[in-house]
Amino acid sequence: MSRVIEFRDALREAMSEEMRRDPRVFLLGEEVAQYDGAYKVSKGMLAEFGPRRVIDMPISENGFAGLGIGAAMMGLRPIVEFMSWSFSLVAADQILNNAPKMLYMSGGQFGCPIVFRGNDGAGGQLGSTHSWCVESLYANVPGLKMAIPSNPYDAKGLLKTAIRDPDPVFFLESERMLALKGEVPEEEYLIPFGQAAIRREGGDCTIVSFGRPVHFAMDAAEVLAKEDGIECEVIDGRTIRPLDLETIVRSVRKTNRCVVVDQSWSFASVGSEVAAQVSEACFDDLDHHVHRVHADDVPAPYAMNLEQEMLPNPRKIRKAVLSACYRG
Amino acid sequence: MAIELTMPRLSDTMESGTIIKWNVKEGDKVASGDVVADVETDKATMEMQVYDGGTVSRIVVPEGKTVAVGTLIAVIEDGRGGASPKPADRLAVPPSSASSASSPPAPEPRIAPASPSMRPSAADDAESARLRVSPVARRIAEEHGIELGSLVGSGPAGRIVKQDVLAAVENRRAASVAPPTTVKTSQALSMPARTPAAPLPAMPASALASAPLAAGGRPGREMPLSGMRQTIARRLVESKTTIPHYQITMRITMDPVLSLRKDLNAQLEPQGVKLSVNDFIVRACATAMAEHPLMNASWGGDRILLHGAVNVGVAVSLPEERGGGLVVAVIRDADRKSLRWISEETRTLAEKARTKGLSVEDMADSTFTISNLGMFGVEHFTAVINPPNSAILACGAAIAQPVVRDGGLAVGHEMQATLSLDHRVIDGATGAAWLGSFKRLLEHPALLMV
Repeated sequence: MSRVIEFRDALREAMSEEMRRDPRVFLLGEEVAQYDGAYKVSKGMLAEFGPRRVIDMPISENGFAGLGIGAAMMGLRPIVEFMSWSFSLVAADQILNNAPKMLYMSGGQFGCPIVFRGNDGAGGQLGSTHSWCVESLYANVPGLKMAIPSNPYDAKGLLKTAIRDPDPVFFLESERMLALKGEVPEEEYLIPFGQAAIRREGGDCTIVSFGRPVHFAMDAAEVLAKEDGIECEVIDGRTIRPLDLETIVRSVRKTNRCVVVDQSWSFASVGSEVAAQVSEACFDDLDHHVHRVHADDVPAPYAMNLEQEMLPNPRKIRKAVLSACYRG
Repeated sequence: MAIELTMPRLSDTMESGTIIKWNVKEGDKVASGDVVADVETDKATMEMQVYDGGTVSRIVVPEGKTVAVGTLIAVIEDGRGGASPKPADRLAVPPSSASSASSPPAPEPRIAPASPSMRPSAADDAESARLRVSPVARRIAEEHGIELGSLVGSGPAGRIVKQDVLAAVENRRAASVAPPTTVKTSQALSMPARTPAAPLPAMPASALASAPLAAGGRPGREMPLSGMRQTIARRLVESKTTIPHYQITMRITMDPVLSLRKDLNAQLEPQGVKLSVNDFIVRACATAMAEHPLMNASWGGDRILLHGAVNVGVAVSLPEERGGGLVVAVIRDADRKSLRWISEETRTLAEKARTKGLSVEDMADSTFTISNLGMFGVEHFTAVINPPNSAILACGAAIAQPVVRDGGLAVGHEMQATLSLDHRVIDGATGAAWLGSFKRLLEHPALLMV
């Protein structure tokens, strides 16, 4: 049986189920306990699990990220909530220099089974410093995994997998999607990492995206089908590391065209990496170079109209698809 | 500085060339003017000369391989350093057109583009000679045996993209499914000769047999296609599928020509001159053009090109031992040449064609073509237009038969002459008027002397 719940409920269900299942799992972060979560993701969890497992933290990301990493190294399974991934930048040394490298540097003595999660991406008029899309910046580092769900079903299934994963997982949510509703089964399920989902089938152009921009891609695909007679195949990568190249390649071999939509900036980005890998794997299958649609190469503007224009919005995606199909 | 040698465009119709033989190998020193390779073009084997001296640092295309015009075939290192020029700046050219000057000669003015396409010619912009093809388009073309050089790309800078190749595949499929009906002709009428959306059809796929049939004790065999055979196949399919052909025939009394020829040959024998009936026909065709300029024209897609020069092509069949096939030797400015001159030139060219092969120059720039099967006893046939000509004349034999002359029966020699015409350029009345002039000239052959 499935019911319709919000993205934030799906996240909470994943954490609560895993905490019930495994006493090593605990949650720490700013406002997660007494305030029931800055965005109400952890609502009711303090009441159920008590202050030893749902722990409020001071405004000190570097400190509590390091605390979580130490706990993970010693065998616990912490979930560290960043109110926003933008705030994780002050914890960069912990999350990039310690967590992903610990297994390697300790010669296998210490793993780091930790989940960092929080809101990622622009679109909420939070200004330049609080609108970070960290995927391109962080995905560059070997040793970590990165999941980026686009809907409640994936949010729950991927987060449960993240919590059980033996490696550090960067789990990227979106404030703009926390209230997004979707069907989620009551029964337990997990979504393995590295398995992309085809959100829409089509034979003319493959659109690859991750997280919130998958919705932009779906909107663009709708218009392209209606206005331009172009059928897009929309692939939701679901995880960036590992990347399900196989599903993407299979689609591109069919459509011969590929547009990558990535909400981070284009330079040295996830979108560029996917474009490069597709070009390598599908060189003889491509009818045009891989097109990329990104956030514009500027700090996120505060003004709503400018911010919307900066995003990899459906208009830009449609334009890229038309060009890839030699129709632009 | 590395200098790139690319497959040169040795004729307007050349789209690809085969390296028959490399005269150099990697590491060899070459000097300006050296013949580095023999290249088979669509109709002739040419020597390829280089302008730049240096060391052959790389041979990219091996012997026996056919590549598109503009494809990199070798690299010469001139030992001077500096950035490489664009291959366009240093196109290797055949000795025949380079003989008069040590610097690259200006492209010869062409009286008509080889094909009325929107693709700029090599002379306009040699850089465009490089075929731009998307990877998947290249792969699909390979899978279907589509010659990329025959397509016009619709992508940026003329890039051939998937849809162009798919259209060609579709076109070929359609051509093989639909019988050649008049509907087909009217389609050809309504569209330009070449558009990006409708690339040239190649051989119909489903009409192809996959293996030769054998009969008890008599196995079939496969004959590989020579470059010439491929060219004949491609160009004639192009002609028959894109040009709206129609034919008109006239009977011509040949007794005056036969009698004049006999007389002239008897007189000129000591000088080694022997005029053929065909020489009279060539002269008559060229002379008739003066009154009917439309007959000496080419379809230009969005306009008609009326040529100033009258260059008459004569179809010459080649002997089996030279691989058979057919070439068109061109008598340039035939309207300004005497019968004797035409005769000598035709004989020289035919002899050359049958022994060592014609050069590209010998075959270039015809504005009208004659095919004569009279010597084989053929009475009547129709010929396929030789693009970019708009007309071709098919001549049968002058056959002795009863004719009505001065109200009485007599024995006369009559020849049937059949014009195949491109209806986009020439309407029936124009063709008929030209044929009337042609008839009058042959029936009053003294007119050919002035």
